[in-house]
Amino acid sequence: MPPATIPIRIDHEACTECRMCYVVCREIDVNAVYVAPEPRHRFEIDPARCLYPGCTACLMYCPAPGSIVEAASGRALVPPPPDVWTPDRRVPRGIA
Amino acid sequence: MKGHMDKQADGTMLAADLRTLAEADACRTPMDALLEAAGRGEWDDDRGFRLLGRLWTLKRAMYYVYGAWAMGLNVNEFPPAVAYLFGKQIYDDSTHEMQYVDEILRRGWAPTQRAAFAHPYCAFVPATRLAYFVFALRALTNYRQNIRIAAFNLGAKVIELAWLERLGRDWPDPPLRALFAGQVAETRSHVLMGRLIVERCVGSAVDEGLARVDHGVVRQNYLFALDEIAAATLGLAEVKGEVSVPKD
Repeated sequence: MPPATIPIRIDHEACTECRMCYVVCREIDVNAVYVAPEPRHRFEIDPARCLYPGCTACLMYCPAPGSIVEAASGRALVPPPPDVWTPDRRVPRGIA
Repeated sequence: MKGHMDKQADGTMLAADLRTLAEADACRTPMDALLEAAGRGEWDDDRGFRLLGRLWTLKRAMYYVYGAWAMGLNVNEFPPAVAYLFGKQIYDDSTHEMQYVDEILRRGWAPTQRAAFAHPYCAFVPATRLAYFVFALRALTNYRQNIRIAAFNLGAKVIELAWLERLGRDWPDPPLRALFAGQVAETRSHVLMGRLIVERCVGSAVDEGLARVDHGVVRQNYLFALDEIAAATLGLAEVKGEVSVPKD
């Protein structure tokens, strides 16, 4: 049974729109980060595709602290907190 | 003196201040006169070539600026994100430069890139406002990266973003409108990374003071360069070709 996922989102007040999360997410073929046409072609995270906390690849590559947060709690995930950034969660199993 | 050096700066407030100042400049820029002319149908291929030729010249001159700045981006002086974001900015502006010349070639205004380089509309001429803007940016090479980015990304880039958004929304010719609109996302990202770097990396009163001075100079020079581009496009000013210097 796959582990439960936790919705995360991009905090647009902190994001620089550098698209590194998008590039990484596509590179590992998860494709959860997408460009939302409205309102301003910004990056968003599709909770139906995102594997967090089973995958934390985008958190490692994001250069802007606080840009990705847990949707419910607002907890900042960039840079990844130690309990999140564990070896078994850095990329989805079977992809690395 | 040491006391002054030790004074702290509020990077968040500084970033907001700098962006507000540039947004005031950006309310109306010389590029809006071009948009209005195109809207009235006072536009032809020659004006299009003049405009894209000058914009291409400005963008490709950024290699010269960024190359110098990168030499002064010292390892371990700033968090790794500062270097990474700068690399992305160089890549983005390189893409924009190529988009301008691609459109010039696609429309047949120049048969080859070599021919475009040689054309007066695309020539980099030292005795121009455009060149002055570029040279003044390059003169920031011996400043720290946080100050350069404060001046450029929260100054000229904010103004560039504003006119790109307006031309990308309202330009009557669809391919050119798409070209401008396509550059909005990256330019907005440059402004946002400018905010990030100022908020997190401008910590002293000295850095803040230098950032404010340079920000004013960069904005002024950029507006002068835009004024020259717009005037040249509309035929209100001569497009200078190659400048020769006598041997004596």
